[in-house]
Amino acid sequence: MTEAVQNVSQSQIEVENLNLWYGEKQALKNISMQISKNSVTALIGPSGCGKSTFIRCLNRMNDLIKNCRIEGRVLIEGKDIYGPDVDAVDLRKNVGMVFQKPNPFPMSIYDNIAYGPRIHGANKKDLDGIVEQALRSAAIWEETSDRLKSPALSLSGGQQQRLCIARTLAVKPRIILFDEPTSALDPISTSRIEELIMNLKKDYTIVIVTHNMQQAARISDYTGFFLMGELIEFGQTRQIFHNPQERSTEDYITGRFG
Amino acid sequence: MFNRNYKEKMIESVLFSVSALTVVILFLICLFLFRNSLFLFNDFSLLDFLTGRFWYPTSVNRQFGLLPLFFGSLIVTVGAILFSVPLGIASAIYISEIAHPKVADFLKPFIEILAGIPSVVFGFFGLVVLVPFVQKTFNLPTGQTALTGSIMLGIMALPTIITISEDAISSVPSTIKQGSLALGATRWQTIYKVIIPAALSGISAAVMLGVGRAIGETMTLMMITGNTAIIPSFPGGFLESVRTMTATIALEMGEVPQGSDHFYALFAVGSVLFIITFLINLIADSIKKKYRFKVD
Amino acid sequence: MGLSSKTSEKIAFSLLTLATLTVASFVLVILVYIILNGYGAISIEFLTEMPRRMMTQGGIYPAIVGTMYLIIGSMVAALPIGVIAAIYLNEYAGENRTTWLVEMAINNLAGTPSVVFGLFGLALFVKYFGFGPSILSASLTLALLILPVIIRSTKEALLTVPNEYRESSLALGVSKWQTIRYVVLPAAIPGIVTGSILSIGRVAGETAPILFTGAAYFLPRLPDSIYSQFMALPYHLFVLATAGTNIAKTRPIQYGTALVLLLIVLGLNLIAVLIRRHYRNKLKI
Repeated sequence: MTEAVQNVSQSQIEVENLNLWYGEKQALKNISMQISKNSVTALIGPSGCGKSTFIRCLNRMNDLIKNCRIEGRVLIEGKDIYGPDVDAVDLRKNVGMVFQKPNPFPMSIYDNIAYGPRIHGANKKDLDGIVEQALRSAAIWEETSDRLKSPALSLSGGQQQRLCIARTLAVKPRIILFDEPTSALDPISTSRIEELIMNLKKDYTIVIVTHNMQQAARISDYTGFFLMGELIEFGQTRQIFHNPQERSTEDYITGRFG
Repeated sequence: MFNRNYKEKMIESVLFSVSALTVVILFLICLFLFRNSLFLFNDFSLLDFLTGRFWYPTSVNRQFGLLPLFFGSLIVTVGAILFSVPLGIASAIYISEIAHPKVADFLKPFIEILAGIPSVVFGFFGLVVLVPFVQKTFNLPTGQTALTGSIMLGIMALPTIITISEDAISSVPSTIKQGSLALGATRWQTIYKVIIPAALSGISAAVMLGVGRAIGETMTLMMITGNTAIIPSFPGGFLESVRTMTATIALEMGEVPQGSDHFYALFAVGSVLFIITFLINLIADSIKKKYRFKVD
Repeated sequence: MGLSSKTSEKIAFSLLTLATLTVASFVLVILVYIILNGYGAISIEFLTEMPRRMMTQGGIYPAIVGTMYLIIGSMVAALPIGVIAAIYLNEYAGENRTTWLVEMAINNLAGTPSVVFGLFGLALFVKYFGFGPSILSASLTLALLILPVIIRSTKEALLTVPNEYRESSLALGVSKWQTIRYVVLPAAIPGIVTGSILSIGRVAGETAPILFTGAAYFLPRLPDSIYSQFMALPYHLFVLATAGTNIAKTRPIQYGTALVLLLIVLGLNLIAVLIRRHYRNKLKI
């Protein structure tokens, strides 16, 4: 495996020798990776390669799965998130996640955004501001400002996904994980989300799982290639796509499998 | 954060304790039924109770023999099952395999209405319609017979049998069906050679639950079977009056002095009833667990 | 076999159709018969007056009131317990012996004959706790009877809440209980309401459990506390039809009572079905 190329001192997420088992089956094998602040890191690979499993280690969503066992360390801002004094609920406030299918709650647009802040104890009078700010950052304020009270499920698929991004932003995380966020969307909605992700990197560190290699090439600074639970290659996106070091990376990128 | 974790743990334990209440209730039911039954066996032998041929709870020479009541329940239940199983399974096949989906969507809730009708209304209907009908048809001194009870009880068991059988038949994967049709079998051949065998354990579970429903029914039977505690002959007993275990409890509990042998004897009958339905449920449950197809 | 496969299919399908029509006709005949005979007896007076002259005249008001009390009492007891148990089973319980035990208990409670619940209610509530034959004892007995119904329907409702809701709430740094409280439960409310309405129908129609726990043959006035005995619609119908002072003379009242009971129970079932239909497709993402 090639060494990560970026400056270690700037990395916000450091993964060291991460192994993960579902029961007897090992799903991640000895993954190490460093992800730097305010960058977009794309994780690619054929389905079942472990990229989604990996991203779910970063906010401990795998905790919810029975028989899931994890070894190794994941440091976020220098702190091991699997350490005994770390609470997964607190962690997830700092590490947000956007899912594959747009999944707004069956509530109004406003309540969807306000849901997190309310539970985290935001002041009632600040809520309007938080909601507007989040919707603006997710580039969906223009479309929704006049109908905040209507049900979120009345929005189109692409709008719903931007709403879900806004919902994540409202909790003010520092890192946002995207798990194939555009795989259920049409091309136009996809390009709006891609644009949004590139804008968000100013303020957030972004990790995105995608099955779409062009998407990875378009929006990411770094790319990791996963295959059968292993991180085969990790480096700057340009280098991975133009000058891959590993044969299997090249095969995948040129479409010979997967 | 530790405060919140503590709170979450507390909530989980409260939720757990409340759901454990169901086990406590079941335990208490066993405890109170069995304990009250045991008092009977201070003066009366268990064997005499289980094998006694006479139920004379109030005569000078009191006898608490279970057999007439047990066979009363049995004959009525057998009759109900003979009547409702063929009808119920046939309807389930029709609804899931033959009827147009729109017709099925209408029929299912329509038949479910039967499950909602209170048993006392069934009993009342039986009393004013079926009892005179049976009396006239067979030219009997009274229309309150085991047959009358069987018919009414069969109708009451239908929704249970139909709903669960229909569920079992529908859960047979359509690939199996298509495989048979692709071999040139007709729809009917596919149904009885492939679908029914595949759904058989689900259908058996449905029948078991139908039996459980029938054996536990009280009000309807008490109103239309005449309540004579004599061991019925077979099959002639269908045209005679019978008394079930359930009806005995319901009829006599209101009038017995609490704490008398008769009082405890009724609890003993209740215990027998409870054990029977408990076993039936256990069997139905284990059959049902087996039939679920693993379909992704 | 002498018949061609086409012919035997025709015969078989006709028989199956005939069987289904027979079953459907049972439903129709019972409903139509009770409605036709009962609707003449129903009037405002019938619903709002006390029975008179040894119940051979007058209305069924106290029986309606008694049934209402039973509904309220049993729901107050069973609904919170049932919903909480269902939440635990669906959201927390792992696959272990304890869970198996709880599930087994629920299945067996569901299959226990109602007259056995009556015996248990008599032994525990009436005698052991000393509540006497009363609204309280009967309501608690009925609560046990409908507990499995509520647990099952609530569990089913929770099961239809998409897992995506849970995941996305947890991903926002919201704790498990808060997620259940603010996302999962609200989404499951229609299903819970449906189950509750069905159990109300059950409470309204059950007779055997209240026979020895407080139902009265006749009471000259309405119950004044939860320790009072009560009249109830199904028991009233039973008494009039089998043990009344003049069974033949009170037929119209019997038909009327049966119809009122039927309308209450089936009306509740209809509402439940409509709610289920209305919300069935709303939760899909």
